[in-house]
Amino acid sequence: MAERPLTDRLDETVNTILARGDATAALRDPELAPLARVAADLRHYPSPDFKARLRAQFERTTTMTAAVSTTTAIREGFTTVTPYIRVREPGLVDFLAQVFDVQETFSGRGGGGGMHREVRIGDSMVMIGEGGAAGEGGVMPIRPVGFHVFVKDVDATFKRAIAAGATSLGEPADRHYGERAGFVRDPFGNHWYIATSLGPQSLATALRTVTPVLHLKGAAEYVDFLTRALGAVEEMRAAEPSGELRYCRVRVGDAAIELGEGEPMPGSFMLYVGDPDALYQQAIAAGAKSVMPLSDQPYGRVGGVEDTVGNQWFFSRPVTASS
Amino acid sequence: MTPTTEDDRLLVEAAQADPARFVEVYERYVDRIYAFVSRRTENRAAAEDITSQVFEQALRAIGHFEWRGVPVSAWLFRIASNALADHWRERARDAHEAPPDVPDSRDLEDIDRRIALYQHVERLPDLQRQVIRMRFVEEKSIRDVAAALDRSEGAVKQLQLRALENLRKSMGGHG
Repeated sequence: MAERPLTDRLDETVNTILARGDATAALRDPELAPLARVAADLRHYPSPDFKARLRAQFERTTTMTAAVSTTTAIREGFTTVTPYIRVREPGLVDFLAQVFDVQETFSGRGGGGGMHREVRIGDSMVMIGEGGAAGEGGVMPIRPVGFHVFVKDVDATFKRAIAAGATSLGEPADRHYGERAGFVRDPFGNHWYIATSLGPQSLATALRTVTPVLHLKGAAEYVDFLTRALGAVEEMRAAEPSGELRYCRVRVGDAAIELGEGEPMPGSFMLYVGDPDALYQQAIAAGAKSVMPLSDQPYGRVGGVEDTVGNQWFFSRPVTASS
Repeated sequence: MTPTTEDDRLLVEAAQADPARFVEVYERYVDRIYAFVSRRTENRAAAEDITSQVFEQALRAIGHFEWRGVPVSAWLFRIASNALADHWRERARDAHEAPPDVPDSRDLEDIDRRIALYQHVERLPDLQRQVIRMRFVEEKSIRDVAAALDRSEGAVKQLQLRALENLRKSMGGHG
């Protein structure tokens, strides 16, 4: 019987390699064997589309990340994202001082006539605005927000919070995610999810003392928005079988933000970035609306946007000694 | 060509100072990481997914990468190895082999050989390169390739044979 042409034998071998990753039969054919070896290696030939797509993804992400993070160390002790809590009356700083390891680092009259205060809780900064005209129809609304706080002893901290006027939202207990945690609502309505790490599966190693927690509807879509608007990088997620996002952690510059599906509790955030103009435009392009056009203020260049779920992001490049 | 440790150091420092330069890290190492990962995954989609994860993790971690003279490739292979181990754990019920480790010297030779082969594909005459891509990347049948290129099936089989012969010759001592 005449031997089948090499083109057909080779094609049959290629089909077998593609279907089963197996070229052993062809290796017995001395004319076919060297070609079969090449074909077997080509089975893993990378798709040019895949490489180009991934490259474009990194170009997009890193360009956005660069705009966020090039000058995160502008103000010593701050990270890229600092939560800003507005309250109608003084008292929140006193509450925090009674509960956590707090140091007030700045206090001064704000633009709206109220007090602007900055406190350090552990290794994290929080800004607090007390009173003032802004918020009553002004830029930054008065509204409660949520925080995940790591402490050495959750039970003692929880007791201090209750004694200082907080309401329990959940007694301290060992949680399945590697934390002993208790939850309180402070007298101003803010939620504090107080936690002590129980071991390596805890999130504590990836988080600073205080991390903002965003509750919202449509969390999965919102993560996409944060990626496009702020160059956020998703670090972990836990989704329900339905696809609903129960928990997600993203990083914006060098700061973590936690979020998940829940009753909306939007917040306001100050972002220290190298190029506030670029971030502002990027957030607008991603679907946010302007609440404060960019302008040069005595304390630095600043502008702000409100996103689709009500969170406000203020982009600032503050004036420093070297600028 | 394997980058020198000095090239590596400069590349890492550039990416740490300016995240936009991370794309250069990606360009330099994507073929090696993909070549490593693709031999240890069940299909192309899994290999692409894990390669993507490796560079995403590397981008997040590069700010904390401390230069101690260890090649960037070793660091990326370690990330890839962990990602593969996670992938295997998820498939634990049907996996019987030990989780993969970082590549040894024999694996590295194999990776270099395959990267050289992929580069030779890029230098093939247009039609031959198109046939290789359609057959091996898109996994099209000879009939579909023939339709796409407006050639007879016999002609496409000839192109496939010539392409593989050219690649075998180009590989020379590597083959």
